[in-house]
Amino acid sequence: MPKLVIDSQEIVVPSGTKVIDAAERLGIMIPRFCYHPALGSLGACRVCAVKFEEGPVRGLEMSCMVEAKDGMVVSTTDREAVDFRKYIIEWLMINHPLDCPVCDEGGHCLLQDETVSGGHGIRRYRGRKRTYEDQDLGPFVQHEMNRCIHCWRCRRFYQEFSGYRDLGAMQIGNRTYFGRSCSGALESPFSGNLIDVCPTGVFTDKPARYKGRRWDFERAPTLCLHCSLGCNITGSARYREVVRVEARHHPNVNGYFVCDRGRFGFAYANHPERPRRARIKGKEVSWDRAIAYTAGQWSALQNRAGNSAIACLGSPRNSLETQAALARFCELLGLSDPGFLLDRDLERRVKTAVSKLDERVAISMREIEESDFILTVGVDPIHEAPMLALAMRQAYRKGGSVAILDPRPVSLPFEFHHFPVAIAEMDLCLNAIIKASLPASVLENLTQEAQGFYRDVVDRNAGPTAFQEREILLGRKLMESRRPVIVCGTDMVDQAMPSLAGNHALLLRSAAKKTGLFYVLPGPNAFGAALVSSCREYEPVLDRIEKGEIHALVIVEADPFGAAMEQDRWSRALETLELIVTLDYLPSPSVTEAHVVFPTRTVFEASGSSFINQEGRIQFSSPLHCGGSPVSQVSKGSHPPRIHLDQVPGGEARSPAEILSELSSVISGKEQKMEVRDLWAWLAGAAPAFKKLSGSISRNEGFRLLPDRQREADFSDALAQRIDHGDKEQIELLLVERTFGTEELSSYSQFAREAEEPPWLTMNPRDADRLGFAQGGRVSIRVKGILVDVRLQVIDAVAPGVMVLPRHRGIPWQKFETPRVRVSVDRIKRLP
Amino acid sequence: MINDWIAAKGLHRGNQRMMPEGLRRELEAQIKEADHPRECVVDVMYALQKHYGYLSDDAVLEVASLLGMTPLEVDELATFYDFIYREPVGKYVIHACDGVVCWMLGEESVLEYLCRKLGVAVGETTADGLFTVLPTVCIGCCDHAPAVLVNGRFYGSLNPERIDAMMEELRRVPSPLVVDR
Amino acid sequence: MSMSVKVLLKNARPDRPATFEEYCRSGGYQALREAVKTMAPRDVIRQVNDSGLRGRGGAGFPAALKWGGIPEGAPFPRYVVANTDEMEPGTFKDRVLVGTDPHMVIEGTILAAFAVSAQKGVFFIRPSYEMDARLLERELQVARAAGYLGKNILGSDFSFDLVVHRSGGRYICGEATAQVNAIMGNRPHPIKGGPRMAEQGLWSRPTLVNNVETLACVPHILTQGADWFKSLAKTETGAGTKLYGVSGKVKHPGCFELPMGTRLSEIIEEAAGGMMRGSEFKALLPGGASTAFMPKQYYDLEMDFEPLKKCGHRLGTGSIVVFDHQTCLVAAALNLTEFFVRESCGLCTPCREGLPQIRDLLWRIENGQGREEFIPMLREMTGHMGHAYCAFAPGAAEPVEGLLRYFEEEVREHISQRKCPFREHGTDHAQARH
Repeated sequence: MPKLVIDSQEIVVPSGTKVIDAAERLGIMIPRFCYHPALGSLGACRVCAVKFEEGPVRGLEMSCMVEAKDGMVVSTTDREAVDFRKYIIEWLMINHPLDCPVCDEGGHCLLQDETVSGGHGIRRYRGRKRTYEDQDLGPFVQHEMNRCIHCWRCRRFYQEFSGYRDLGAMQIGNRTYFGRSCSGALESPFSGNLIDVCPTGVFTDKPARYKGRRWDFERAPTLCLHCSLGCNITGSARYREVVRVEARHHPNVNGYFVCDRGRFGFAYANHPERPRRARIKGKEVSWDRAIAYTAGQWSALQNRAGNSAIACLGSPRNSLETQAALARFCELLGLSDPGFLLDRDLERRVKTAVSKLDERVAISMREIEESDFILTVGVDPIHEAPMLALAMRQAYRKGGSVAILDPRPVSLPFEFHHFPVAIAEMDLCLNAIIKASLPASVLENLTQEAQGFYRDVVDRNAGPTAFQEREILLGRKLMESRRPVIVCGTDMVDQAMPSLAGNHALLLRSAAKKTGLFYVLPGPNAFGAALVSSCREYEPVLDRIEKGEIHALVIVEADPFGAAMEQDRWSRALETLELIVTLDYLPSPSVTEAHVVFPTRTVFEASGSSFINQEGRIQFSSPLHCGGSPVSQVSKGSHPPRIHLDQVPGGEARSPAEILSELSSVISGKEQKMEVRDLWAWLAGAAPAFKKLSGSISRNEGFRLLPDRQREADFSDALAQRIDHGDKEQIELLLVERTFGTEELSSYSQFAREAEEPPWLTMNPRDADRLGFAQGGRVSIRVKGILVDVRLQVIDAVAPGVMVLPRHRGIPWQKFETPRVRVSVDRIKRLP
Repeated sequence: MINDWIAAKGLHRGNQRMMPEGLRRELEAQIKEADHPRECVVDVMYALQKHYGYLSDDAVLEVASLLGMTPLEVDELATFYDFIYREPVGKYVIHACDGVVCWMLGEESVLEYLCRKLGVAVGETTADGLFTVLPTVCIGCCDHAPAVLVNGRFYGSLNPERIDAMMEELRRVPSPLVVDR
Repeated sequence: MSMSVKVLLKNARPDRPATFEEYCRSGGYQALREAVKTMAPRDVIRQVNDSGLRGRGGAGFPAALKWGGIPEGAPFPRYVVANTDEMEPGTFKDRVLVGTDPHMVIEGTILAAFAVSAQKGVFFIRPSYEMDARLLERELQVARAAGYLGKNILGSDFSFDLVVHRSGGRYICGEATAQVNAIMGNRPHPIKGGPRMAEQGLWSRPTLVNNVETLACVPHILTQGADWFKSLAKTETGAGTKLYGVSGKVKHPGCFELPMGTRLSEIIEEAAGGMMRGSEFKALLPGGASTAFMPKQYYDLEMDFEPLKKCGHRLGTGSIVVFDHQTCLVAAALNLTEFFVRESCGLCTPCREGLPQIRDLLWRIENGQGREEFIPMLREMTGHMGHAYCAFAPGAAEPVEGLLRYFEEEVREHISQRKCPFREHGTDHAQARH
């Protein structure tokens, strides 16, 4: 641990720390442009120059390029260093258009800050400036090259860090141009990070353009809710409109970046058709009226049919407070427990996944980056959880191997081993790889339980697949690895897979490898849902409605009538349900069809909410603004209406916890307030994992709610029996996620929608040939009265016997029963 | 951007989307020989430039497809180098040296004389498509300064008479030349 | 006048390059034959070390030290790059060398490969020298046919092949790390702060980059001995002969092979025939555009690394550019700066943005818009060039530094007279384009 002196202050830092970071720990921000902690040191901008007065390095050197060493004495205020840095700033400003007044970066511009700190003021250069033409880079990133100071961060992030190849540096010298070969939307789903890394206003947030100055915004630390990874973000709001999202640094979850879905998916919060007032049968009414009506209908129903006639539904996008409140609500009113996942099989898989995680094997995305072998089953990272793909790429860059067992045409911005294997055979493939990684000498030294698992499950079901040679090669690679990780999805996997993946992680761990286990879950708080409902199994609501058991539904931030499968059954259920009460902020079909609607607040308006990400980390979000309709929607471009209200326009929305609290009080006649504190206490009683909530733990980085060790013995849930696969004359249709267009919240965001691709069907060339289909041709699929008419893409990387469609609104995906459908080949026809 | 410029200048030399099979096979063979395909990129650019007259946008796409690179990656290189022409050039590209030795010798700047004589600005091509005048420092002919480099051949110790004679010769010779020693 | 020993240009002909046969008759490939049969690679390095051979590409780094930098047990394949990319204004000696005796350069490269156990080599050559690229390709075929290249050369277990790699044309490609990038098909930026070339160069393998003149010395060192080579020089610290390219206002510009350390006066007056008629000596650049103007007081200086270093200058490539009393040095400095501005790769700030500002100040001085305060500004800016990313920027600064150090008066005259005093009767086309 070297000890050095910077500006007369002593500090001890970990070995390998650069002097620029050592200084930052002392609160000394040495100016920098090309240096970025995630991108590493380049030494190009020269603005971090400091004087090394004593020690192994002497003279003027770049603090980002020099590692801190014992005995160094560094001065940032040395005259030569200050003079040099001043010239560097002067030189960087030579061609600058000085258009701060019209530049969005103003107020949070690193160039502004360093220019002032460098002591540069008036331009002395009187020659001609070089100027550029800008490009249209798509809906997300604005391009204004004249402001460029050639720090090279954009190219390094885009090409080196994220691995995409359509943006780079052209030309030479001071006319070097950062852009694409020609105008066009950036291909990388991480392109928005250019906005954050660019230290000037070259790349700015296009949707947020001209919305305001940094100091105009109400900003707060919050969380991305568009997948289960829980990336940290900072939201900005102005005039009650959420204006933009920036990445917020978390060293273990998302690092310095977020994906474009998370960055531009927020505009559902500003949707012009958001429910803002209570409604009864589609008509806006006063809040009290709606409460009274609901209570009235409720009591009548209760008297007639009893408590069991009313069911409650939540979803994985509920905050933990909402989920706890809903569960408490049901308990207080004597209802059956709420369901959070409508698909029972999915719920089981999620609960299994959650049960397999404990502190021994749980890892964060940071550990994904550090892994030397990532074995992934049933995940298409770019489409399900994009930041996972970015983390995997960092592992690849450090020499790690990534293997993905998935029938979909997985594509990643780096080289990886793809095993296009059908879902029903993923276990065979996985077992074969792991078997090939465990030589006899290692097997002998495993624990009894591990050996049993190996013998009864792994060895027995290790293939055969079409990839035997590759499995063995990969297994050997796994054998040499020290920090392997198993990543397992919950969407496109068999019921037994989450358990199998978890057991494999334990097996590898038992073989003395520091193994990690990482699940991808269906939503930002699916983990919370699993914990809150851990005690019992979900009984499908639809079945009970059809049996006539349920006559009323309370739907809290869920959309069974729009975003669930088996839509025909739900449509019929609509007719039989007497009371549907929906609490939501989305203008969803479940809001439209509800008898009573109570508007709720989004995460940006709630008074603080928490979500548990896929690794079991509870993280906390703070609100940006007080809630209510954006001023622009109220005033419609003109002056806000000159009426006086005692409430923010459109500001009736409350948190579900408040609404449920009020409802239960009115219905039961007893005051039932549900404060957050009470909810935590109640949760701790409901599930042991929540005991940590009551302690005083730092909220900044969140913390894991995981047991040190799972309660059941390891491998106790291992299943020896496999699931049978279907016949060859059928093709398995998979209805899958895509980066844009399938995730619920972002599909309501006008900005994210611009990045959507039209849906198409993908199929393996062999299957396409067999059926006589051509690339780009139109295809129809007819299953049980559902008709899909779509264009075909023939891609090698699709598993044979599989075809893939996105769960996009252009496809009637909701009509299918499950996301995996076996279709006879005679039901798939070519259209002219 | 570039395409608009070309269209505006009317310099596009017809539809040359597909390179001839023979050239493609030759280049593919050369790339296959290399341990690392990307090391051939400058040679492939030169070959396509020679075929098309300059490295057009279409040529960039073809380079990219031959080497498994993206057009941007090809452009990162093509726009960096002095002798890769991303805009149309004449049959003869006269690289007139304006380095310090060529500058101090001779009565008038060769570059200025050429531009005046040919009636073009620096970087422009004559209307007959024969000559483009570009400055380069330094072409490596300082012992025969002032000098120019035309399609790989030096013309040194220039004065206005010699320059005129050179142009005459170039107009007469049927094809661009590099003279082997 | 001393009898100049011809070593590198011994086979020079007025009309064409020396042939393979002519090279062999003069003793060519004898060194290679002996080396593969009787010597170990480290013996070759030792001989080259004893000879005192220093790099002739501008940096003057001891060749053997560079070769010895490849660690024992370093991985394979290893590469040798023969840098034929000279592009600095005033430099043309490598063109003359390659065009005179291609096989000498080829043999030198093969010997270097032998010394470091390299498997593949490349002549990295600039587009201006396309004629020499073809010449080398032809002669490499001849060398291959004669068994001096390819697998198991002359029956030994040393296999090495050499090809020509054409550059797209940029001065920065002459920098070793940039050249390696260029060869790999990357944007040719230099890379500093990473592992040394000797450990990780081309495709992360040990790579040697040497100037062709340096390599051409090697066969002679081996055939005639290190001591002999060292004794050729006129100075104590020097070794071998040097190709001095002389250009500018001299009667007979050309490339002259003379003992290392020959005095400038001798080079200019005897080899190059003295100043042109009507020209009086004013200043020279000793080693191409990236060196500083040297005034009359250095006229007798020994042209070798150490003597120049002692008086605060650099030998560089030994390419001498001679200026006369009628040539405006401000305009010359402006022209030189324009070159560097044009060729700056653009990676680091001082070079990319600072050089254009220096150029602008010089332009103003030259065109009657100069101001007193420009002089300290230029001094500060050129001083700061030393802290740029690579050696390009400090090289670019040298002519301007030289101008200010020795010819400040001339600069002041421009400023006070509000014009270039040389414009009427001096070099007229002194304007740089902006």
